[in-house]
Amino acid sequence: MNFLERQLEDPVRLARMKRWSYVVLALVALAEIVLPHLFPGGHHYFSFESLPAWGSFYGLVSCVAIIVVSKFLGKAWLMRREDHYDA
Amino acid sequence: MTLEWVHPGLLLILGAWVLPLFKGRLRRVVLLVLPAAALGLCLRMTPGTYGTFNVFGLDLVFGQVDRLSLVFSYVFSLIAFVGTVYALHVKDASQHLATLTYAGAALGVTFAGDFLSLYVFWELLAISSVLLVWQRRQPSAVAAGFRYLLVHLVGGLFLLAGIAFHWSQTGSLALGDMASYAGGAAWTLILIAFLLNAAVPPLGAWLSDAYPEATVTGAVFMTAFTTKSAVYVLIRCFAGTELLVWLGAIMAIYGVVYAVLENDVRRLLAYHIISQVGYMVCAVGIGTALALNGATAHAFAHILYKALLFMGAGAVLHVTGRRKLSEMGGLYKTMPVTFALYMVGAFAISAVPLFSGFVSKSMVVSAAGESQLVPILLMLTLASAGTFLHTGLKLPYYMFFGKDSGLRAQEPPRNMLVAMGLAAVACVVIGVFPNLLYGALPHAVEYVPYTLPHVMSTLGLLAFTALGFFLLLSHLDPEPTISLDTDWFYRRGAARLMAVVKGPLARLEYGFVGEIYELVIRRPVLGAAGLLRKFDSVVVDSTVVGVGPLTQSFSKVLKTAASGHAQHYGLIMAAGLLALFALAMLVL
Repeated sequence: MNFLERQLEDPVRLARMKRWSYVVLALVALAEIVLPHLFPGGHHYFSFESLPAWGSFYGLVSCVAIIVVSKFLGKAWLMRREDHYDA
Repeated sequence: MTLEWVHPGLLLILGAWVLPLFKGRLRRVVLLVLPAAALGLCLRMTPGTYGTFNVFGLDLVFGQVDRLSLVFSYVFSLIAFVGTVYALHVKDASQHLATLTYAGAALGVTFAGDFLSLYVFWELLAISSVLLVWQRRQPSAVAAGFRYLLVHLVGGLFLLAGIAFHWSQTGSLALGDMASYAGGAAWTLILIAFLLNAAVPPLGAWLSDAYPEATVTGAVFMTAFTTKSAVYVLIRCFAGTELLVWLGAIMAIYGVVYAVLENDVRRLLAYHIISQVGYMVCAVGIGTALALNGATAHAFAHILYKALLFMGAGAVLHVTGRRKLSEMGGLYKTMPVTFALYMVGAFAISAVPLFSGFVSKSMVVSAAGESQLVPILLMLTLASAGTFLHTGLKLPYYMFFGKDSGLRAQEPPRNMLVAMGLAAVACVVIGVFPNLLYGALPHAVEYVPYTLPHVMSTLGLLAFTALGFFLLLSHLDPEPTISLDTDWFYRRGAARLMAVVKGPLARLEYGFVGEIYELVIRRPVLGAAGLLRKFDSVVVDSTVVGVGPLTQSFSKVLKTAASGHAQHYGLIMAAGLLALFALAMLVL
């Protein structure tokens, strides 16, 4: 039994890991807002890039958009049975 | 060819033919020595022009060495070595022969200084790589191989036609920037051929069709050479072509969309090749020094991490025999090393800081920003999120975690793990020491990847992509389907066309065209012929037949006149004179 298995197979540990994941997410977003103000440097090409937590926001939007749009295209048009070309 | 310059590609292509002479351990040694020697030759090479020939008045250059060709040659020979380690357990010498020839052809393209030698190696790429598909020896692989070959032969014809136009217009075969011929026939044909090999939609369906059908080891080589040698010639000939900016950005998203729908592990990864090559094509289109550096760096990093990902997926396929996500799950328990090494590749392609993709992909995205291309920057960043979503989250989740499939697979053979380890080390080294790669790029690099805002926004992007993934997890379960792509046109479209040809078109031909032919051509012709025949039999025949008796009866009359008696002749003469006299009297 390896380390990952111990973490994932135990419901208590898994729940604890999930809680910590949300904490980490919040910390990442917070750090993205705060840190550039504490340590100025680097530069942006566009103004929207310096919006608070732009990367986090755009990441979530992109992820949801990709899944929703792709699944829609797939269901409506692109996805076929596996033997589609065999007939 | 000068003696101090040996073509590393030729070394691989010719050297491959000694392999069948050896067996067992000795063959494995030769197998490793060949790509290692090629890598050594590339590393020792200095810029210059080598291997020039004049054939039939054409200047052929086999060794155009500059910073751009050098950096591509490093990564091509490096991945040839890593891929060979991965394939070391394969007993079939013909597979090694094909892979080494394929790698040699890619090096041949890299060092080609003229279009004709480029064309020769271009075709060799197609022919040697199709063997890697066929060598899986399954009906589906054979069929996919034929489709792959046909598409590439068509691309090769476009290239040849373009070269012929270019040569007839300029009288030169030199390989170089095509910008001054933009819009012309030669420019268009050559660009189409290059875009086809770079798998730019709608010309790119061959990639996701054929790569998942290749052998486990062959696919690793395929991910490296064909598309990236196309990126190389695009950089050399079509830098700054604006069309490519948009094609590349669309391509980056196109691959991501298909990856959502895909169930076959290696086909999902193949769609991400299309997506990643999109960044490179886009950067070639932007065409600034930063962008071209970005395209080159990303090609370099991409070859290593994509090979690593294909090696990971191939290892799972090798030990489980399964290729569909919907049939996997729970493999992390028995394949932790494969999982860990795969994740290095996944972090590299997702541009996680300290991995290679971070220092190369961000160059391309920054080049879009530097050139004030807002929509391009947003499209490429969106595709980045999609890359992490699939390669870093969906694929490992369903392959190694997810619902336990009950598979209790072992780790793959040790040489496979060693090869994956080599590629993983390269991914991390480039990510941690980007200047190693930056120092080899064609233009001087001022770009600094590790700035605080950049690192933080990347981490934010990745972390919240992960959040989106787990929130929508229930919608992402892989489904046993395949997706329509532009290969439909030659897989189904051609069949439909043939059905139209055989059914309606044939009926049209027999029914309508045939009837019209009957009415307009056959009937009048036959009618005219009938008339002519009647004329022939009635007029001509009776004339011919009539002439005989007529002559005969006439000569019978004449015969009576020719009696031989002088008094008869005198009588006739007198009668004639009398008649003449009577006529004269009558007229006057």
